[in-house]
Amino acid sequence: MTPFELVEPASLGEAIALLDPEDAGVRPIAGGTALMLMMKAGVFRPTRLVSLRKLARLNARIAATSDGALTIGAMTPLALVERSPEVARIVPVIPRAMRRLSNIRVRNVATIGGNLAHGDPHMDLPPLLIALNAEVKVVGANGAQAAERMIAVEALFTGYFETVLAKNELIAELRIPPQGRSRAAYLKVTTGSAEDWPALGVAVALESEGSAVKSARVVVSAATEKATRLKGVERLLAGATVDEKMFARAGDAAAEEAECMTDVRGSAAYKRELTRVYVGRALRQALNSDGATR
Amino acid sequence: MTRTISFTLNGEQVAAEIKPHHNLVEVLQREFNLMGARESCGQGMCGCCTVLVNGAAVSGCLYLAAFVDGAEVRTVESLADARTQALSPVQEAFIEAGAFQCGYCTPGFLLMATQLLEAYPDPDEEQIRHYLSGNLCRCAAYPEIIAAVKLAARRRKANSVG
Ligand SMILES: Cc1cc2nc3c(=O)[nH]c(=O)nc-3n(C[C@H](O)[C@H](O)[C@H](O)COP(=O)(O)OP(=O)(O)OC[C@H]3O[C@@H](n4cnc5c(N)ncnc54)[C@H](O)[C@@H]3O)c2cc1C
Ligand code: FES
Ligand code: FES
Repeated sequence: MTPFELVEPASLGEAIALLDPEDAGVRPIAGGTALMLMMKAGVFRPTRLVSLRKLARLNARIAATSDGALTIGAMTPLALVERSPEVARIVPVIPRAMRRLSNIRVRNVATIGGNLAHGDPHMDLPPLLIALNAEVKVVGANGAQAAERMIAVEALFTGYFETVLAKNELIAELRIPPQGRSRAAYLKVTTGSAEDWPALGVAVALESEGSAVKSARVVVSAATEKATRLKGVERLLAGATVDEKMFARAGDAAAEEAECMTDVRGSAAYKRELTRVYVGRALRQALNSDGATR
Repeated sequence: MTRTISFTLNGEQVAAEIKPHHNLVEVLQREFNLMGARESCGQGMCGCCTVLVNGAAVSGCLYLAAFVDGAEVRTVESLADARTQALSPVQEAFIEAGAFQCGYCTPGFLLMATQLLEAYPDPDEEQIRHYLSGNLCRCAAYPEIIAAVKLAARRRKANSVG
């Protein structure tokens, strides 16, 4: 790796001042797992890294409110989220998804904030958090340390490794709203070895009443340029009767709607077929799951 | 851009002069002559570079050395008893089960298996496989490694009872 300056500001104001938006060589660093890969490969040669470790506003913490909303600090390592009893109680789909997210050592270091800010469409949490209707609190807009805005995770990604975040903006925390009676599932498909980046990720969250779907959120990732909601499929599902025919119809509609791309993990046509099959499976799994509130 | 970091290394207070772009494996090898954590894939996938930082296993190849400032660091070299050099139950079990051929991956497996038994003192096969899934052995000693972990678990249990 090429040499760089590492700064570890203790206040948000300092951190934001150090994040020079004009210099592409300056970036925040959280756990560093994604950045280290890029630096080792030589695709990112920083001049300055701004460590977020000493910023109290981004601190590792997990809090649940009495109505079942979760707040998770940006610097919280994935392993803490995975082992949190509150997370397991309110959104059991998250620890389930973590089991196939990399390995224990990476989860011990990789942070929630880094997983979202990287904008990598192959990561597992973005599609799942979109399905759960989560949002992030972002600080530092226009270099103002007091500036704060909430962004739906759904609106965070603008393209392949691209987000709406300004270079001097930081994710401070993640908020997952109460899930009520909604049930969720996340499935990922790897076409190489089991630990390879996925060819497809599918996240669904849905509420049903009796044998009818009340509302659904369906998200695909990895096969597409960015994690994307399939709103046509969601409309089709709203009010539909829960049965095998419905799973098949939703799969067909998803294959139609998802803008799959060809890469080393499969052709676009192949990924459309994966989407067809896995959207149906994810819906079935969500409906058969324990539900978010238990 | 040199800086001094101080931390606890295998129970001893130490300091080192490092550069911000050095990773933890480089510093352990160059500054402390500790060769147990070694780089193989360099990408977080194989576990040959496993180090414990504040009690959590990390891939030293992806960990900036600067981040261990003030931390408690443990390497495979700390598993044996410092005074008597007696091997740990996990190390003994690896030898008895023949859980390696070339041994390149072994330090990582030893540390991860030790962590595994802290978390799950009585692990079933599934838990062992899942916990160690981020460690690769190119000699494919996997069946013996799993047998070694089971053996170590039985020994630990017997020791704590007896
Ligand atoms: C071997 C390996 C396997 C992996 N497998 C998987 C997998 O199966 N599934 C999966 O989902 N992921 C996987 N990952 C990716 C991993 O989840 C990410 O690397 C990690 O979540 C990034 O978090 P970090 O804290 O290490 O980020 P860093 O590397 O520190 O930062 C990543 C990016 O986010 C920016 N950033 C970090 N924090 C903030 C913040 N609070 N605000 C604004 N910007 C910020 C940084 O500037 C950088 O651009 C894998 C990684 C490795 C090394
Ligand atoms: S060398 Fe670090 S995980 Fe392979
Ligand atoms: S014993 Fe040779 S790599 Fe595992």
